[in-house]
Amino acid sequence: MKFAYLAPLSASPSKSSSSLAATKRLLLLLVLGGILPASVWAQQPSETVVVDKGTLQLLLQRIDQLEARVSQLEAARGVPPTVLLASAAPQANAASPPTSSQAEPEPEGPEPEKMDVNKTLLNIRGFGDFGLYGGDQKGEHTSFSLGELNLFITSNINDKTKFLTELVFEVHADNDFEEDLERVLLEYSFNDYLKLSAGRYHTAIGYYNTAYHHTTWFQTTTGRPFLFAYEDEGGILPIHNVGVVASGRIPSGSLGLHYVAEVGNGRTSSSPQAEPVQNFVDENSHKSLNVALFARPEAIPGSQIGFSVYRDVLFPSNSVRIGETILDAYAVLSRSNFEWLNEGVMIRHAPLGLHVYETPGFYTQISKRFGSYRPYLRYEYVNASSNEPVFPQVGLRTGPSVGVRFSASEWVSLKLQYDYTEMRHQQAINGNMCVQRAMCAPSALGLQLGYTF
Amino acid sequence: MRATVRIRLVWLAIALFLELPPPYAAQAARSKPGQSLAIVVNRANPVENLSLSELRKIFLVERSHWPNGRRIVVAMMDDGQPERQTVLRQIYRMNEDGYRDYFIKGMFREDIFVAPKTLASPIVMRKFVFNAPGAIGYLRSSEVDASVKVLRIDGHLPDDKDYSLQIDEQPVK
Repeated sequence: MKFAYLAPLSASPSKSSSSLAATKRLLLLLVLGGILPASVWAQQPSETVVVDKGTLQLLLQRIDQLEARVSQLEAARGVPPTVLLASAAPQANAASPPTSSQAEPEPEGPEPEKMDVNKTLLNIRGFGDFGLYGGDQKGEHTSFSLGELNLFITSNINDKTKFLTELVFEVHADNDFEEDLERVLLEYSFNDYLKLSAGRYHTAIGYYNTAYHHTTWFQTTTGRPFLFAYEDEGGILPIHNVGVVASGRIPSGSLGLHYVAEVGNGRTSSSPQAEPVQNFVDENSHKSLNVALFARPEAIPGSQIGFSVYRDVLFPSNSVRIGETILDAYAVLSRSNFEWLNEGVMIRHAPLGLHVYETPGFYTQISKRFGSYRPYLRYEYVNASSNEPVFPQVGLRTGPSVGVRFSASEWVSLKLQYDYTEMRHQQAINGNMCVQRAMCAPSALGLQLGYTF
Repeated sequence: MRATVRIRLVWLAIALFLELPPPYAAQAARSKPGQSLAIVVNRANPVENLSLSELRKIFLVERSHWPNGRRIVVAMMDDGQPERQTVLRQIYRMNEDGYRDYFIKGMFREDIFVAPKTLASPIVMRKFVFNAPGAIGYLRSSEVDASVKVLRIDGHLPDDKDYSLQIDEQPVK
């Protein structure tokens, strides 16, 4: 069976072009009918039609005139002539695929119908969660808790420029609502190998921070590992930063290498009470630098292996300056039916001329989906010295979390999670620092309803 | 045999009474088993041939620019159409849920700059590919016309014996 590359006239690209094509054919038929000598029509169908050279010349001239007239009409209507050529020459193209030289439409020229490819419109997707949390720490009460309401807003300004933001409404332990622009980025994509972004971003330290951002919807568990807790919830990493980012692919074939390079203000260090993210003013002229490299090998779909190095200098008001280096390495396998996340971090704080403190931490998380149910297990560990100059309250935190995620529908999930956390500095587990009760208690149970809209 | 005839007559009576279309009529009108799925691009696109692996990367938006520098705009047909199911199964290797999750996550994680455009019908697809210089989409081979350019996949055109993208009407699991 021959492949028909050209559909009948009725299947031409647009209504206007098809009607024009039909008009043209009709005109040609009328012309032929009017010009052909009566003797030609009078002949029997079985007889050979003989047309003399002069008549043929006349016909061709007439066709030329009509084509010129049609072109004038097309020009007046703003229709490119190529549309007609494409649909009016089916025989020439029927046996072979159309090539770029045949009836090529002018990409930048006038189009039969305006079709916006990249309108500057806001696209909004929402994520939210609601939970019931309780723990066995003295003074803690089982509570219903509103989680974060996250509006992820994007706008394609043109085919290379994009705006995105994560507008998050959240409630802290003082029960007051707070709204934060957790991410605000203007992105310009040169090509697959270079994209520049400017604004507030999630630091590309390791995997977790840029894989889940500010929603529990994509997370299997009810919350983030303590290692990646947000700054305003007692977290120990500079989760947010304000600055510029370059990212893209590295030509590497099936290895799928990518890079990220970030220069930002870094975290606040002058006072623990100050806003941890330097959104508007940097307290010093030194900038933080983060470089990440990762691979997504084609041979193992869903896998990602990478590392990152973050470097900054902190200037506490009551101490000498501290060199900060954060090393992260990870290997993850994330598929729709199976997930295994492994990530380790080493935070090195080096006060000028004083003892160097190294804080190791890791988490491992495994889950497998059985229909709508996805049981999971996570084990995490962070061990900071009691004399750690930047986060002395953290100490040791280690223990497992076990739970199950039930996908009630495409848009709603229910998670039940039990956490057991050994903590060396229990007195430092301050309720004021906790948003989710599960993070405050050595042993806690949480039920979380997550949704997207 | 008689029972079958009776069932058909009953169905016809019900259908006439309720003004229902015959079962699967709409799909059957367009559904021609064994047809190839042509991958189509704008006529100005210089690309002539793609490997299936390259095609997968393009549809996954892992590769986002054509060799001429234009941004690739992937066009998908609406849910439930056999052409879309063929693309999901043979190119994406995902079902509808996996496809949706992939793009929502990808946009959220900033891995994906622009998600595929969803179009209602083959006619709209053809118009879109004709109008958008960076567009890539798909059509039944019988619905292709000269307004778009058909790509070779692994060196084969849709009417070739070894062409890999064949439309099937099986639902995606």
